[in-house]
Amino acid sequence: MTRIKRDTIAYLLVVGFCVVMLSWAIPTYTPAYPGYGASPALVTNVAVGIMLSMAILSLLTIAISVFTNKPLPPEESEFPEDLKDGGGFTQVGRVNIMQLGRIMIPCVLLLLAIDLIGYALASFAYLMILQYAIGNRKWLQSFVVSVTLTLLLYIIMRYGFGVPVPGPQLFE
Amino acid sequence: MDMIIAGLLDSISLASLIFLLAGVAVGVLIGAIPGINGPMAIALFIPITYYMTPLTAIGFLVGLNKGAFFGGAVSAVLLRTPGTPEAAATAWDGYPLTQQGKGEKALRMALYSSVAGDFLSTIVLIAIAAPLAAVALFMGPAEIFALISVSLTVIAGIGTTSISRGLIAAGFGILLGLIGTEPVTALPRLTFDVYQLGSGLSLIPVAIGLLAFSEILLQLERLAVNGSGEHCVTVFSKKSEDRLVSLKEFFATTKALLRGTLIGVGVGAMPGLGAPVASFMSYDQAMKRSKKKHEFGKGSLEGIAASESANSSVVAASLIPLFVLGIPGNLAAAMLMGAFMIHGMQPGPLLFKENAQLMYGIYGSLVLASLLLLLIGRFGLRFFCKAVNIPAMILYPIVMFTCIMGAYLGKSSMFDVGIMLAFGFIGYYMRKFDYSYVAFLIGFILAPEWERALQQVVIISEYDSYMFFQRPVAMMLMALTLFVVVRTFWTSIHAKRKNKKIQAAAVAAAQHKVTE
Repeated sequence: MTRIKRDTIAYLLVVGFCVVMLSWAIPTYTPAYPGYGASPALVTNVAVGIMLSMAILSLLTIAISVFTNKPLPPEESEFPEDLKDGGGFTQVGRVNIMQLGRIMIPCVLLLLAIDLIGYALASFAYLMILQYAIGNRKWLQSFVVSVTLTLLLYIIMRYGFGVPVPGPQLFE
Repeated sequence: MDMIIAGLLDSISLASLIFLLAGVAVGVLIGAIPGINGPMAIALFIPITYYMTPLTAIGFLVGLNKGAFFGGAVSAVLLRTPGTPEAAATAWDGYPLTQQGKGEKALRMALYSSVAGDFLSTIVLIAIAAPLAAVALFMGPAEIFALISVSLTVIAGIGTTSISRGLIAAGFGILLGLIGTEPVTALPRLTFDVYQLGSGLSLIPVAIGLLAFSEILLQLERLAVNGSGEHCVTVFSKKSEDRLVSLKEFFATTKALLRGTLIGVGVGAMPGLGAPVASFMSYDQAMKRSKKKHEFGKGSLEGIAASESANSSVVAASLIPLFVLGIPGNLAAAMLMGAFMIHGMQPGPLLFKENAQLMYGIYGSLVLASLLLLLIGRFGLRFFCKAVNIPAMILYPIVMFTCIMGAYLGKSSMFDVGIMLAFGFIGYYMRKFDYSYVAFLIGFILAPEWERALQQVVIISEYDSYMFFQRPVAMMLMALTLFVVVRTFWTSIHAKRKNKKIQAAAVAAAQHKVTE
């Protein structure tokens, strides 16, 4: 996928989002005009309007450059790594969905599990899984980090700030 | 006068000093770790400050930010990987010195320049913020509305390669900043019947997700592709001339240092530019005006002084627009604005009137933070060098878990953890797709104030459509907003044309070579 294609998809998503907001979300979930001051929907409409107009303007720029056969220079139309050796990583570049999934899935699981099995077990399991997911195969090191961090944050939250840790408590 | 003395006495109370010291030390430690910067550190630690007094909290966060700015130089000098973006120019001369065994000398120079730049810029802040705030008190809602508009536009234009993407990000930030209870009707707006959204999206989980969590996602991706990278050099020469910076050497850099401070103050006081711009600008000027140009890039102390003094002086200078106008000039200032709001204060000119004692306490803390940075940096240098070597596989899970617990801490709610994860995901895509997360965050923070100003303008002007034309300052600021948008578009089109010409010339040159 070239950078132009990626930007086009992103702008189209922005346009879609704005259309949904203007046609459904803002009218449905904004209070009616009370009869004085500015309408509660004014600033939200302005914000969405800015997004929509900028996305359409950018799409037009891309369309003009494509239809007039005047492509943008490679450094703007392609990812920098494509220009070099076809590999590597750049911050403004491809999304590594597998890697993203490896990190995000344990986080989402922690969110769901913490209310079921409690802070201690869920946090320990999360840290073990996360360290494995990012490539740490030293089990003892992973175990020590997980136990220490779980305990340390428990002590800080419980006794330092007096905040109950999330989920059912193991020893209470 | 009583206020000033009381404020300064508050800043030297034991609790304030302990937290200030802790803030500076943690800041240097965090800044030394590549990939973690000052605003990220502030976002991570704001939840802790819920339990502190306003002065202790702001002092702690300011110390954290100041420490992180110097900390960035540690990994820049030892690893050639700047801990923070603004330390990149420091690496150009710091790393060659490390290769010569003079890493400690480079770090000491970075420390002294950092402290000097920061101290001088704090003095400038103290000297001009209150008088400017007195003038700013004459601004009405129309001027405030126009000022926020121009700030958002400038920040949107600078944070990304395309102003359209910057404005989309700012618009998105404003939209999400308006979720919650609508101020005039007191009814829920855009909450989608989710009761937790009734009070709006909290700044803490949004900021942690956007700044810290998304950055760690990127760092982990980089780690997976490139591996753990090079190991840090921490072997220093034992000769005193290779370790210490003599007075003669320090004074030889005075011009570069003062010029850097001046550039840093100027850049810091303008919304949107930020420390990396100041650092590169100062380095460039120092190189052009130096008598020893040939030493730049090979281990010049002048180069380190120019870069470090400029980036550190941005810290205090960026508080000028925040204290005077209530507009955050950069990400760190935006996070500090969030901290002020959490403690029930609205940054801006009224702060000097309503919380004078606190403001003088903050001034005291700012000065003390500079001095503590010198102390901590001087005696803890070797310890901070070791922080650079913490394995990423241990460090990143710790940071991620801290993000999760930090998001939970604010309201003791797992809903906020979900918000943090969602914004981590959004922030990751924003960075990948080059949408300015800085513009988003500042739009998010300023949205309620922007709306409030507009409501007041509409009510005061009694629905007059020409309300802005009756206020010359507001009209000028709105014209400036339009000018910034048009100019940024024009510059980007011009840059594209220039790029094409350069490319065509390069292709022609290559073809000529082949024919020859």
